[in-house]
Amino acid sequence: MSEPILRTEELAKRFDGVVATNDVSINVPRGELRCIIGPNGAGKSTLFSLLCGIYRPDAGRVFLKGEDVTRQPAFRRVRRGLGLTFQTNRAFHRLTVRQNLHAVLQIAREDRPPDAEERYRFALERFALDPDSEMPAKELPHHQLQWLEIAMVLAAGPDVVLLDEPTAGMSIDETLQTGAVLKHLNARGLTIVVVEHDVAFVRDVAQRVTVVHQGRVFAEGTVDEITAHADVRRIYLGQA
Amino acid sequence: MAALQHLVNLIAGPEDIGRSRWFWAAFAAVCALLFVNPLWLTEFEATNGAYYLLNVPIALGLGLLWGYCGILSFGQVAYFGIAGYIYGIVAGNMVGDATGPIIGSLCGLAVCGLVATIFGYFVFYGRVQNWIVPILTLVLTLLLETFLGQTAGYQWRVGSVQLGGYNGMTGIPAFQLGSYVVMGYGFYYYVLIVVIATYLGLRLLVNSRHGKVMLAIREDAIRTELLGYDIRARQLVVFVLAAVLAGISGLFYVQWGNYITPSQVGLVQASLPVVWVAVGGRESLLAVLLSTCALNWLNYTLSSEGYQYALIIIGALLVAVMLFFPSGIVVTLARDLPRHLRTLRGQRKGEVQ
Repeated sequence: MSEPILRTEELAKRFDGVVATNDVSINVPRGELRCIIGPNGAGKSTLFSLLCGIYRPDAGRVFLKGEDVTRQPAFRRVRRGLGLTFQTNRAFHRLTVRQNLHAVLQIAREDRPPDAEERYRFALERFALDPDSEMPAKELPHHQLQWLEIAMVLAAGPDVVLLDEPTAGMSIDETLQTGAVLKHLNARGLTIVVVEHDVAFVRDVAQRVTVVHQGRVFAEGTVDEITAHADVRRIYLGQA
Repeated sequence: MAALQHLVNLIAGPEDIGRSRWFWAAFAAVCALLFVNPLWLTEFEATNGAYYLLNVPIALGLGLLWGYCGILSFGQVAYFGIAGYIYGIVAGNMVGDATGPIIGSLCGLAVCGLVATIFGYFVFYGRVQNWIVPILTLVLTLLLETFLGQTAGYQWRVGSVQLGGYNGMTGIPAFQLGSYVVMGYGFYYYVLIVVIATYLGLRLLVNSRHGKVMLAIREDAIRTELLGYDIRARQLVVFVLAAVLAGISGLFYVQWGNYITPSQVGLVQASLPVVWVAVGGRESLLAVLLSTCALNWLNYTLSSEGYQYALIIIGALLVAVMLFFPSGIVVTLARDLPRHLRTLRGQRKGEVQ
């Protein structure tokens, strides 16, 4: 089996004695669309912050395309092909749509994969975003602001993106549309890891699901395996 | 020719107020007026005119750092002072040598750049963020003031130049180009040219590729880093540039008044650039330029009534602006006035119909 695009070894992080992430080892193969689910406070966002370099882990290691990036600052990981959107939207709200997308295109990675441009153009079109628009981002409707941040990340030409609750606050239609775009991008070679609460969305898009509970990997498998898992249903899906 | 056109387009780009043809016509007219000013001003008045302008570089540097890159420095006067003192020491030891003032100026700016690089390295590469940065910069300038304040003794001399403690350093040579000593009208032109060049140069910078990233860092540094930018290096570069610009003002100051005291790097002076920048509007270079000239003129004029009195008025102005025009007077007017005028015109049309 080839080297996973994203891999962690026994990753751990604690804040003032509170264990946020504990002994997390995951493997995301190239080309997969993975969903990470778990109750509030399970450590999903902390895991993302460790993967992209916002936090340094207390123990364990992070590998990106086979290279140990545990000690590398965030921007280096991004230049190696990682992208991330935040749980709360962090497009540049006071800047225009053009400025938002422009800020990223300045840097577009030198070793941008050949499909990156096509994926970016596809997302712009399906998200109905005009890259030359002088409209301040804060005037966009909520779902389009979410899409803008995804488009910004795609502009840099990543190989793998981490999306933290990309459909939060969206209507059912908008969620479905987001799911369709993600599936299409994935089919064109982009590896995607999504933290999501919306079970219908997870069923729609996920190829594999990782369940995080109390900072640990609680279960992992296909959507059907996970939804059939008795303990997962108990802690997460709220069913007896 | 194409390169020149590109340069002009960049300078007139969207990241500052004043982009219309009318603005550039007015800008050219004001510059022309300033250049022929000495025709009717006395030499003394021209020297005062230079004084209103000489703080523009330090203010533009702070405007760039704070308004465009989101880093508030409360200690820009440290670099003002460093450049002034180093110039005094070097040029003072080379009296009689015509190259002394030029070498002194270059040394002053080089030391500014060096100190800012070392200080900025620890701040930005140490990932210090938000309100800690202004406190650290303020501490640096207060340390400098304390150090300079205790240099009154005879042992504090460098070559033939006495640092002078709180009495300050006196007899600092004027600027000199070859055998021409830059004073009076000459000094006015020298400051005017540097100020205009600095403004246009910074407009070029904020509209360049680097400028766009600067805005992104101001809005959200972590988000920007996660788009692949080494924000530490970019913040450091802007910080050093702002320090060198503060140094230019420091050079102007000592070349204008021929003396400097530690109070130039003290608490009161440290707060003034922040006032100039905030009153005009930190997110526009033009606003900073205008308010700095206006407030320095006001300060100079009021000071004839007593220095403390002037400071109280300037301070009250800051409070009023922060309450009623939080993005600055010039920026607010530039943003809202055209809209009000349009509504007004619309209403008139309505009356006619």
